[in-house]
Amino acid sequence: MKKSLRKLLPLFVAASFGTAQAATEADVENTFNPYKAGMPSFAGLKAGMTINKGNADQFKDILGAGVFKLIKEGMFEMKVGPTTQFSISKAYIDATRANLNKTQLGAKPGDMISGYVAGRPFPEEPDAKDPRAGEKLAWNYKYGVNWGDGAIISPFYWQYRNMQTGKVEKEINWDFHFLNFMHRTKDAPVPEITPNPSGIFRAIYVKAHEPQDLKNTQLLIQRFEDDAKLDDAYLYLGFQRRVRRLAQGQATDSFLGSDLMIEDFEGYNGRVSDMKWTYKGTKNVMLPMWNHNELKLSSERSESDGYKYVDFAGQGGCFAEGTWQLRKVYVLEAVPVNPNHPVSKRVFYMDVQLQNLNGSNEIYDRKGELWKVFMVGKSHADHHLPVNKGAGIGIDDAFSMVDVQSKHCTTGQFKGQVDPKKNPPRLFQVQNLRGGD
Amino acid sequence: METLNNGAWQRSLLAIAVSCAFAAPAAADDLPAMGEEDSPWQVDVTYENHTVRRENVGLAKFRNTLQAEFDKGVGNGWKVHGIMRGSWDGVYRMNSDEYGNKAGGSINMQSTTPGGYLTTPWGTGPVTYSLVNGAFGLVNNAFVDAYPASNPNAGLRVLGDRWHSINGGVAFAVPVRPCDVDKRGCRDFGGYGDLKRSELEAPEFNDRLDFLRELYAKKDFDLGDGKSLFVKLGRQQVVWGRTDLFRVLDVINPVDFSRNNIYDELSDIRIPMWIAQVEYRMGASDTMQDRNLQFVWNVDKFRPNNLGQCGSPNSILDAGCFFRGMANLWDNGGTVSNFANVAPGTLLATNFGPGQIGLDKVHLPSWSLSNTQFGMKYEGVTQDGLSFSLNALTYRSQLPSLRGGKRATNSFTGVYQDAWPYLISFDMHYPRVNLIGGSMDFQVPAANAAVRVEAAYTDGEEFANTNRPELYSKNNVFRTVIGIDRPTFIPFISETQATLISGQLFYQHIFDHEWKRGSLGPVGMPDWEDNVIGTLLIKAFLKNGMVSPQVIFAHDFKARATVVAPQVEMHLSNDLKVTIGANYKLAEGRSRWEFDDCRACNPFAPFTAPNGDPDPFTSYSRGLAGMEPLGRFRAGPIGAAFKENDLFVKLNYKF
Repeated sequence: MKKSLRKLLPLFVAASFGTAQAATEADVENTFNPYKAGMPSFAGLKAGMTINKGNADQFKDILGAGVFKLIKEGMFEMKVGPTTQFSISKAYIDATRANLNKTQLGAKPGDMISGYVAGRPFPEEPDAKDPRAGEKLAWNYKYGVNWGDGAIISPFYWQYRNMQTGKVEKEINWDFHFLNFMHRTKDAPVPEITPNPSGIFRAIYVKAHEPQDLKNTQLLIQRFEDDAKLDDAYLYLGFQRRVRRLAQGQATDSFLGSDLMIEDFEGYNGRVSDMKWTYKGTKNVMLPMWNHNELKLSSERSESDGYKYVDFAGQGGCFAEGTWQLRKVYVLEAVPVNPNHPVSKRVFYMDVQLQNLNGSNEIYDRKGELWKVFMVGKSHADHHLPVNKGAGIGIDDAFSMVDVQSKHCTTGQFKGQVDPKKNPPRLFQVQNLRGGD
Repeated sequence: METLNNGAWQRSLLAIAVSCAFAAPAAADDLPAMGEEDSPWQVDVTYENHTVRRENVGLAKFRNTLQAEFDKGVGNGWKVHGIMRGSWDGVYRMNSDEYGNKAGGSINMQSTTPGGYLTTPWGTGPVTYSLVNGAFGLVNNAFVDAYPASNPNAGLRVLGDRWHSINGGVAFAVPVRPCDVDKRGCRDFGGYGDLKRSELEAPEFNDRLDFLRELYAKKDFDLGDGKSLFVKLGRQQVVWGRTDLFRVLDVINPVDFSRNNIYDELSDIRIPMWIAQVEYRMGASDTMQDRNLQFVWNVDKFRPNNLGQCGSPNSILDAGCFFRGMANLWDNGGTVSNFANVAPGTLLATNFGPGQIGLDKVHLPSWSLSNTQFGMKYEGVTQDGLSFSLNALTYRSQLPSLRGGKRATNSFTGVYQDAWPYLISFDMHYPRVNLIGGSMDFQVPAANAAVRVEAAYTDGEEFANTNRPELYSKNNVFRTVIGIDRPTFIPFISETQATLISGQLFYQHIFDHEWKRGSLGPVGMPDWEDNVIGTLLIKAFLKNGMVSPQVIFAHDFKARATVVAPQVEMHLSNDLKVTIGANYKLAEGRSRWEFDDCRACNPFAPFTAPNGDPDPFTSYSRGLAGMEPLGRFRAGPIGAAFKENDLFVKLNYKF
């Protein structure tokens, strides 16, 4: 009997963390509409005002530590906008509701979850007493809406900038494509693209058009459903006319000399099991979120359809000229499992409604000192390109990756398009790379 | 047999490529847009200056290249892509003493005597018509006392003097001036060997329209169910394999080594061909994540690798000089050092007349359906992420084969025969080769590395072989490369950007290799039966990739030759890049490269038998050796260039 109990004990332990507090319909309501009871507020904060080095201390509690440092040191001024709803697609919410409490954590952190079908796997409010609350949020991110079932950013302009001189050292023009192969909720085919024998969950395909030395460079990253499986990554170098398989370490290397590594894409582009995740609490924090068509946009470049890009200003032109709004966030900390990882810690301010990870991130170096601050501004989909209306995601619209140590930054201007027609699955096959110029 | 003249054939293909691009097949109707709709021309124009200073030579390159790359979506999913390139190398005017109209000069030949080496001006024997007539009464001998004014001792260099001294071996004269200045030894070996100065200066402007680097139309026809048919028609490069520098599977396009020896990116030196490429992209199945079947039909008229004309700065393996010198020997005759073994320890320079030894005909395959080249590749990714290919190709060897023992006039008797076994009278051929092979790559997570493997087995390649009366043999060959890429954080280089370390080992085995010890030395095949070449690339990225230092090491284990090639690439702006670098070669034990030169093959028995030979009426090689002409195959491209140490500056600008 005792023997049997000992055998059963791990199951009880696992079950207690996985399902001890079953999510309810109210949790679903709250997770997708955290502002049901009203928008958050903070003393002295008003839409239309600016937070700058002069008044930053007053708002320190609602600023990420990295962003606070940037403002305090006078690198940029934050324009404040009103808090707005970023409603998620009904299909994703319905899937969350339909599969409530089906997802179980693995026996120990880093193990694969089970029972997940679609939607947000752990919609319940995280519990600070739950040692695996952070991991649940990481799974929510992995299976979050992000770019929906698929989308493209085309064109996507990156600029490498010297913060001290303002010199633009390099500009890249490329396309990014994202496609979910599994757990799809909105765009046909639902729920998955088959056949898919390797169990690819999601793939990212990138193609560079400029500058000349990167022209026709293509990158394909395949992330698997099985979180224990390493991503597969392939690089086609236009000047070599050859596809190269990337070693996994290149995901944590500077990507083509930018201030981003592949692991930084979308806030965090790695496996859940690569990090030890810790939920540090819930609070209201300023995040860059806006309505694109209400911003004063750049006149520097515009598209034939009239689309204009978010402008940049601040020190070195490193900061997007969008508005920031007070959002309910989960503070999430991720420490790499690999002790040789160039990052010692990532801190995310996860927007509760979208559960994305890229609003205002801090990245710490191996010595534990702040290395980079990553800010991705999102636009409401209904206030962006017509094709994005009703997409039910936050459209990434502009990013800044600021290296506070080397005083260098990489900025990005997006033209995000949630258009399934532009994302056929064959783009995400290795062979597609070989057909390049 | 259908044959089109070359120009007409290229124009026909051009028309097909362009007309296909504007066609509107019904299958395209349901395709997603994917940016392939009708779009304006996208044109990028770049300029490059590449200047090289070579040790002991001076300026070795002052090449200015203008390149335009253009793309257009022409509707219905078709895209047209083209690259036009024109370059002009000023080195032929700026260093004309070395590479231009004033290159070369009068030279001396060498004879070996018991008292040491004897040096005499080229064209003066000592073995001449008169000497042979006088000594042996061979009144019909075909040696010459002197050469006519059309074959002067001017504008010449000694074969191999760029990388070794005569040192008792075979040597003969090589005309080195452009062919509009000195026609001697000029032959079209397949795009080189017969070029005027203006053609050397501006190599793209020729009758093969090489200024048109690429021009093709492509489209992906959606077949539904995740499958598609990808078509790419026109002048293009088709790249097989997964390794750098080595061409194990990457043999569809020939390569232009005259541009910068082995030191340019292959994509810049592959010679684009008119090719029809069709891929049946099957996508995933229940067991494979990706499947693709490719058919490649190289319908262009055959072109071999460009090994570089003699007298130009880049003549890989010094082969262009060997060919030109041999062709000159055939056409005009010439003095050959250390040839006539008239007494023990005595080898005298000999004045051959025309039509006795050398290189006569060059058989470049003409265009015919049967001379086109065809390949198939199955490429896939397994469920577990192993990416692999299986390849098969029937093609023409891109390296020439010299088939010896051909027609000649007996130097001693004046008798002409269609074949003289073991005689160094050659024709050049490009034999058909069949290749099967495969490649794969995979990750090794424990080592944080990606591994690339490539292998090929060929049938039909021909190698020099002094053990055969025709002085060559066909041998099957196995080649393989394993490469490992590992991004590594090296703190003293950069704590934030990984340094790429990429190592490769190339192995080659020649089946049925022939090598035996003759009475005077080894006889058989100069190429090593088994050889290994290793490469190591260390490339760092500093200042956000704006500065990238790198060093490449390559070591040929059998030749014991090494090259070290450091360089620093600096992006001064988005459009301006400057690269400064060098390559420096080291070679130990160069006597290892010497091999049977067939002086002791005795083709004109008994006159050419070595002094005191016990079997003077039989033709075969006894194995008397020297560095020329076969040492180049043992030295390899690194060893044969070991005195060509270069410093270079390259500037690239995009308009």
